[in-house]
Amino acid sequence: MITQVENPILEIHDLTVSYDQNPVLWNVDLSLPAGNLVGILGPNGAGKSTLIKAIMGLITPTSGYVKVFDKPMNDVRARISYVPQRESVDWNFPASVLDVVMMGTYGKLGLFRRPGKKEKDLAIKCLEQVGMSGFVGRQISELSGGQQQRVFIARALAQEADLYLMDEPFAGVDMATETAIFQLLQEMTAAGKTVIVVHHDIHSAMNFFDWLIMLNLHLVASGPKEIVMNEEMLRKTYGGKLNLLTRVTDLIRQKDFNPLKG
Amino acid sequence: MEDFLYFFTFQDPSIAWVVLGITLLGVGSAYVGTFSFLDKKALLGDAISHAVLPGICLGFIMAGEKNPVYIVSGAFLSGAAATFMSSWLRRNTKLSDDTIIATILSVFFGFGIVLLTALQKSGNPEVAGLNSFIFGNAIGISENDLMLYGGLSLVIILVLTLLLKEFRLMVFDPEYGKAIGFPMKFISFLFNVLMILAVVIGIQAIGVVLMAALLITPGAAARFWTDRLNPLLILAALFSVLSGILGTYVSFVLPKMPTGPWVVVFLSVFAMISFLISPKSGIIFRYFARKKYLRKTHRDHLMKALYKANEEGKTGLNIEEIYQLYPYQKVETNQSIHDLVMANFITNNQSFIKLTETGISDAMRIVRLHRLWELYLNESMNIAPDHVHDSAEQLEHLITPELEALLEKRLNYPMLDPHQEPIPRPNKQ
Repeated sequence: MITQVENPILEIHDLTVSYDQNPVLWNVDLSLPAGNLVGILGPNGAGKSTLIKAIMGLITPTSGYVKVFDKPMNDVRARISYVPQRESVDWNFPASVLDVVMMGTYGKLGLFRRPGKKEKDLAIKCLEQVGMSGFVGRQISELSGGQQQRVFIARALAQEADLYLMDEPFAGVDMATETAIFQLLQEMTAAGKTVIVVHHDIHSAMNFFDWLIMLNLHLVASGPKEIVMNEEMLRKTYGGKLNLLTRVTDLIRQKDFNPLKG
Repeated sequence: MEDFLYFFTFQDPSIAWVVLGITLLGVGSAYVGTFSFLDKKALLGDAISHAVLPGICLGFIMAGEKNPVYIVSGAFLSGAAATFMSSWLRRNTKLSDDTIIATILSVFFGFGIVLLTALQKSGNPEVAGLNSFIFGNAIGISENDLMLYGGLSLVIILVLTLLLKEFRLMVFDPEYGKAIGFPMKFISFLFNVLMILAVVIGIQAIGVVLMAALLITPGAAARFWTDRLNPLLILAALFSVLSGILGTYVSFVLPKMPTGPWVVVFLSVFAMISFLISPKSGIIFRYFARKKYLRKTHRDHLMKALYKANEEGKTGLNIEEIYQLYPYQKVETNQSIHDLVMANFITNNQSFIKLTETGISDAMRIVRLHRLWELYLNESMNIAPDHVHDSAEQLEHLITPELEALLEKRLNYPMLDPHQEPIPRPNKQ
């Protein structure tokens, strides 16, 4: 059940992604309207993070392409903001909360130029938005997992983008904070921004998202929440592994090359 | 003493030059090295520094004499070859990083030693100077060499300063850098070039064997003192420059003494001092912090014992009774009694110990925290009443007033703990 839209803000065309020999996403084809809060749902290992990384151009797809604002990714990076998974960095790095959030302004600054007063004020404002204004000078390793997550969200806000891609931003965040941040994201989408969030909790997904993408190695569903969220789709997404697909993957892995790459 | 004055007043211009060179070298290598230490690539520096030896020898063979330009170029190219080979092996084999580093290091260094030995047998009188590249000789540097090494150091310092935020991103979150459109591949390539250059500038003064120490140790030592990148870089540079100058001084005073080993000795002293006495992470600091905490817990326990005696209707305890409560801890107990008398929490009247007014209220607080925590464990965490005492014994010293208020609220201001003992609170006026 896949709803395609006219004038999409994000278009993914027949995207297949493999790690080494191993296909992890099969022929994803979807388009998204602007101004929505979009959730990507799926079980562990369904390829949710892979999809986000492929959209960001951090991994090269085996086939297919991604267009954002009707342009290739590299032409519009300044308008796109990315929140990686918290575990992807070493939090013992010598930096304060402010240092990390200021990284959000690097993209606009470009190479060589240093952040100044304007960037600092923006970073502090973004920290306020995620309820972390009391931690500006704190060493990042002293934060809890949920607080580190919020620092990453603040960094993404500091990019002042039009499209936000967030990889599991609520992992390790308590319920109250999750709700507060969801409300912030809803305000952003009401102002015309688009926010795409990899999420694991179906219950809060029901409450907050406008549009849902359901993944399980392939695209199960993409469409407005009211249409997509039903028992059949959930069963297709979470109802165990796709036995046949997994066996084909195993078969491919045993080859010395990837037959999907032309 | 004469030597000392002669050296440090820089009467001899050649000494002034050498010190300037060592300073630039120290700043440059500490700067690059701190980033590679933070990026967990300390071993790569070691591999590169060993791997430049064959390049030095080949440069010498090509020039037929100790020409610094040939030697530096040779060293750079062979360092680059080692770096390239290690990343090629990483991409195209399943060998682990440590295996690759160890292999590259030993193969290149072995080849370098073979070339060096062959050169020494060739009878060229210039060859003698080549030995100083193994352990370094700062005093033997000519002015020409200095221009080259100092100039390269300046290039390193300049590039790193200009691209500070880019390198910060490269170490902390390269994927994010890629996502915001920074050329992360180029930045990390540039960093590798700087890393090789940093090794190359040190070969004459420090030597190939010990250059890795000058790269890594300053940053590692400075990390004990600060949690911010900029102070870290400055402090690392300071350690490195000081060690460089002191090492040069020793090799100036003691003839035939190589510079590299002495620089490393001084660096190690800085690292050792940092490891021992830096606040927060130094081990001596931590030892005293722990000791202080243990003394506080002992005092708290003594106060509690006195409070319990009050509950049983006694006005206080005899010192012998207290000693019996803490067998084999007479020294600690006397210390605690002394401290508490000084704090005006207890009085010691001919070895009869009594709580004062302020003492009673503080002791009451400790007992209250102990019993509140016991009740919390019992009620909210379903732990049996006979299993809660030990945990409370440890946590009563830690619970803050805010946490206490939260506990009180959560438990709804209880009267009794799980052992049916009253939870004491001051009378509200």
